[in-house]
Amino acid sequence: MADSQQTVYVVEDDEAVRDSLELLLKSDSKPVKTYDNANAFLKDYSESMSGCIVLDIRMPGMDGMELQKKLNEKHSILPIIFVTGHGDVPMAVDAMKEGAVDFIQKPYREEALLEKIDAALAQDVEQRKTLGEKQEILRRVKSLTPREHEIMDRMIEGQANKVIAIELEISQRTVEIHRSRVMHKMGTHSLAHLVRMILSVKDLIDAR
Amino acid sequence: MTDAVHETTDVTVLLVDDNPQNLKVLYETLKDKGYRLLIANEGEKALELARRHAPEVILLDIMMPELDGYQVCERLKADPVTSDCAVVFLSALDDVDAKVRGFALGGADYISKPFQAQEVIARVKTHARVIRLERELQARNRQLENDQARILNSISEGIYGLDNEGRIVFANPAAATIVRSSAEALIGQNFFELHFGTPSQNLEALPARATCCQGQPENQRGVELLRADGTRFPAQYCSTPKWDGDELHGAVVVFRDITAELENEQALEEARDLVQEQRDQLAHVSRMTTMGEMAAGVAHEVNQPLTAITNYARVAKRVMAKDEPDLALLAETLDKIEAQSHRASEVIRRIRRFMKKPAAGKEVLSLAELLEETRQFAEVDIRNNDGGIEITVADDVADVCADPVQVQQVALNLIRNALEATRSADSSEPVRVSVTMQGEQYVRVEVTDSGTGLSEENEAKLFLPFFTTKDEGMGIGLPTCRSLIQAQGGEIGFLRPESRGACFYFTLPVAPQNAEVQAETSGSSEA
Repeated sequence: MADSQQTVYVVEDDEAVRDSLELLLKSDSKPVKTYDNANAFLKDYSESMSGCIVLDIRMPGMDGMELQKKLNEKHSILPIIFVTGHGDVPMAVDAMKEGAVDFIQKPYREEALLEKIDAALAQDVEQRKTLGEKQEILRRVKSLTPREHEIMDRMIEGQANKVIAIELEISQRTVEIHRSRVMHKMGTHSLAHLVRMILSVKDLIDAR
Repeated sequence: MTDAVHETTDVTVLLVDDNPQNLKVLYETLKDKGYRLLIANEGEKALELARRHAPEVILLDIMMPELDGYQVCERLKADPVTSDCAVVFLSALDDVDAKVRGFALGGADYISKPFQAQEVIARVKTHARVIRLERELQARNRQLENDQARILNSISEGIYGLDNEGRIVFANPAAATIVRSSAEALIGQNFFELHFGTPSQNLEALPARATCCQGQPENQRGVELLRADGTRFPAQYCSTPKWDGDELHGAVVVFRDITAELENEQALEEARDLVQEQRDQLAHVSRMTTMGEMAAGVAHEVNQPLTAITNYARVAKRVMAKDEPDLALLAETLDKIEAQSHRASEVIRRIRRFMKKPAAGKEVLSLAELLEETRQFAEVDIRNNDGGIEITVADDVADVCADPVQVQQVALNLIRNALEATRSADSSEPVRVSVTMQGEQYVRVEVTDSGTGLSEENEAKLFLPFFTTKDEGMGIGLPTCRSLIQAQGGEIGFLRPESRGACFYFTLPVAPQNAEVQAETSGSSEA
């Protein structure tokens, strides 16, 4: 996932702009994939894609703003750089509110575009790294048995082994064994670290 | 015994005799025959009655004291009022000399005494009828003459009757007024000398000359004529030969002074020019407005190729920066740069062509090409319209004769309206543009959309200036379109499609076969 190769996805209806951008990015040694309309990209989209999207804001059919909404619905974390024309700044502002990383106005200096693309790719790496860590935590959480999970919840709340044993009507020794397995499965030796890990994925666990 | 004794009839008979016995007999003979009978027993009285009543028939005794019958007859014939009466002499003088003398004085007939009642009745009847008819005929002739005179006098055109030599034999009052003379003074003068002076030029070429001499009718406008006072006036005249069978009797010339007409025409022409100038300006303003509305789209259209050029240029630089540059890729990239710069200049060219003031030059045009160009231009608007524009041109469509800039303005206006209507109805149907023949003389262009359509109330106001259904419209688009199309000799209008939406059409006249293409070098004006 996070280690899959980053690609610049160009969604642009104008053939010349699309073609020139593709050549430019290739000459900059960036993997690039182009689409001549928003629907084609949406069809191709998968969670495993990494990189960024260079998206023309005005297109016939589905425009850039609509594509952004559809991707948000799919919880896409691909950074989007909107390419806007003259007089599209209000649209770009809306796009930023919806979570776009940046926008650039045509005609642009290619250095500016490449800088923005590099920044977006870096952001993507960062986001994916974070996401990867979170997913690792989630994977570990998933490996816990229901009993272990229950005991971990109580550990995070700060309950002592004795209290857990009384409330769950099990022996203190059994609690200690479970506790040791939780720490082992979660890959940590410190309760403080466990608390931080669980808090970082709390939203994802709650969403389940 | 001078009273009228029979009032009920039209025909009046005057009986004149100095002998009361004779009068009585005559009276008895003719009474109850339907005549009004008048009686006189001496000459003076007879003349007085005759003048007052203008009898058709007078039975006149020759032998009378004082004025005799001959003298009475002579005086009757000398008086225009009574000259047409039928005088029938009555006399015992049954000799040839008396009869001849009576006829020589204008008598109509002769009855010998002692007369037979039947004879008197028959002769009076005959003469009464003859005189009656004659008088009716004269009255009719007078009526006709009066009518003709009234017409000739009241007509505002001047009328001359000319003989073969061009001498004026008739002139109506209007002719006299126009040439500042009198009808009396005009008659007898030579038309050519009077109105064209002593011409040094070819006499035969003078107006109406060929009509007088060869019988060829003429009709000319803007001929300059001399007046009697030496001043000149512009005239329109029409000359018609007077034929009597095969024989030419000169000509009738009808003419009028067209000074005021020419002035009016001049003023009208100037007003027309002014209107045309303002119409052109309005059309230009309307085009500027359209361009203003399209500014964002136009900027986009230019920015696309510029963006591509920037990208390609960077690619080219990178290719060259390599140790072993890929020359094929470099060439390809440079070609692409060139193509994109053409694309950008094409957008600019279209705008300039559209913005240029119309040369009001009509040329032979292919509507298919013009509409394709318009479509490309309107594509600036299409970007947010899924359906786009669909143009269909029937196979048999002929070229038209029109001003390309103005036709494109109309087409663009209708197409943009249609796109806007389609968009506001959230429809993805294309705007349909069809070109067909309408009869043999016109090409018809229809622009149909699937938009919101028009209410009937709005339909009626469509082409009124300053009427608009758009929030930001000025309401000059369609009125301008109408004046532009009318100036091309076509029509523009609205049809209500069966389904939703709207359909506008305009027609343009087909270019004449083998028409000389007007040399309008649109290329040079853009250089």
